[in-house]
Amino acid sequence: MRCLLRGSILGLAVLMSAASVGAPSDVIDGPLVRSAVSSSDARDLSGVWYIRLYNPQINSTLGRLPPFTARGKAEWDARVKAAKDGSPIADASSYCWPHGVPRVMNSPYPIQIIQTAGETVIVHEVAHNIRHIYMDQPHPQSVTPSFLGDSAGHWEGDTLVIDTVGFNDRTWIDEIGVIHGKQLHVTERIRKIEGGHALENIVRIDDPEFFTEPWYARITYAWRPDLRIAEYICEENNRNMPVSGHTAKK
Amino acid sequence: MMRNLRLLRVLVLGALTLGGATVVAYAQAIYHPPPGQNFEGVWLIQGDHSAVKTIEGKLPPLNKAAAARYAAALKARQNGKPDFDTIQTCKPHGLPRILFAAYPIEVVQEPTQVTFIHEVHHMPRMVYLDMPLPELADMDPNWMGQSTGRWEGDTLVVNSQGFNDLTTLDSAGLPHSTEMRLAERIRKLDADTLEDLITVTDPKTYTKPWSTRVTFRRQPGLRLKEYVCTDSNPEAAATKPHG
Repeated sequence: MRCLLRGSILGLAVLMSAASVGAPSDVIDGPLVRSAVSSSDARDLSGVWYIRLYNPQINSTLGRLPPFTARGKAEWDARVKAAKDGSPIADASSYCWPHGVPRVMNSPYPIQIIQTAGETVIVHEVAHNIRHIYMDQPHPQSVTPSFLGDSAGHWEGDTLVIDTVGFNDRTWIDEIGVIHGKQLHVTERIRKIEGGHALENIVRIDDPEFFTEPWYARITYAWRPDLRIAEYICEENNRNMPVSGHTAKK
Repeated sequence: MMRNLRLLRVLVLGALTLGGATVVAYAQAIYHPPPGQNFEGVWLIQGDHSAVKTIEGKLPPLNKAAAARYAAALKARQNGKPDFDTIQTCKPHGLPRILFAAYPIEVVQEPTQVTFIHEVHHMPRMVYLDMPLPELADMDPNWMGQSTGRWEGDTLVVNSQGFNDLTTLDSAGLPHSTEMRLAERIRKLDADTLEDLITVTDPKTYTKPWSTRVTFRRQPGLRLKEYVCTDSNPEAAATKPHG
């Protein structure tokens, strides 16, 4: 049974590499919670995924820093300098607040996607962030600004499109110093790639206060049938917690 | 066999795609639970359960040492200094206390997992249907323990253990040890009412197993709000670990 299973996977891998879509590098041996590859249904994203090539700095798809406005650049410079000087400015995660979007999608912890008829839920291991993406419904007329914003989702072919607005201005975009204001508008285009072995998220980031034009980032996640979401309690023994104000002395 | 067939289908599909044929199959396998087992939606607890009693309406059968701890907790609360209560520093409620919180709970279901999302502390609780509960000796105690379940007809039977002893079972301060085991029987009484029959077994704290019962009312159209404990208690996260 297991032999046959592995044989099939191998077969698939051979087929895939023949088409130069790249053989899966993350084939896992041993007993698995879920099947070794995500289902063949392009719209079935359910399961556990784990970021690949995690980088605390989110670069644009052009391979460089985002197109900052003068304000955005000044805030970036201030944060980079503070970190260099040994008194980094704390971001939302340091206060055990929800991480914001796309910050929470760029975290080195597993995420689990759960799909129901009207909603896509993403449970993040990191600080038990939970995203509620309401499907095929517009944003509510009035949205109270929040850390994770208000997310509306719909399908375009094989791609889950998530539109998120209604952010407060207390999270960062990345962990280094790209920040945003309340006008932040994030659009994510998520689809399965590499025959169900990975997920791709093309993130469009728009905030006229901090960027001269919308910019894009690309994050990919590996299918991880071997993982379950573990308990992560930021509030317990949080060594990042700034003692006072927005800076923490070393 | 089923598994192989499914993989075969993946292979065929892959081959078709490679062959240039257009394969558009957006079935989107959304799981629809059978009506009786469908707990999906948002629920709110009914009644006040800040000081939990047994189904018979009595104080749970605390042993002598535990009774003293409980009395001390009641007194501390009365004096406005409930230092035993780790909720104050934004720690998770633990089980079963989080069930008693007067905040909505969203349930989402998959064939292998029932997930309870508690608005309070935006806390998820996974009930795995595809694995046995690990032996207590093999578990790392944590705040929410670990839960596994199975369906008995339309009743979801959930077993949980692996808790630390830093939480209490209710706001009043009913104590428990790391050996506590919970058994829950969750079912719908009608389309809009969910019942949870909870049995606590903890020989280090209680002289015998005891049960309590809560019901939840469906909240049509309600969306969970973002609840951020450390936002209103900014210094809470800076406290030293307990225990």
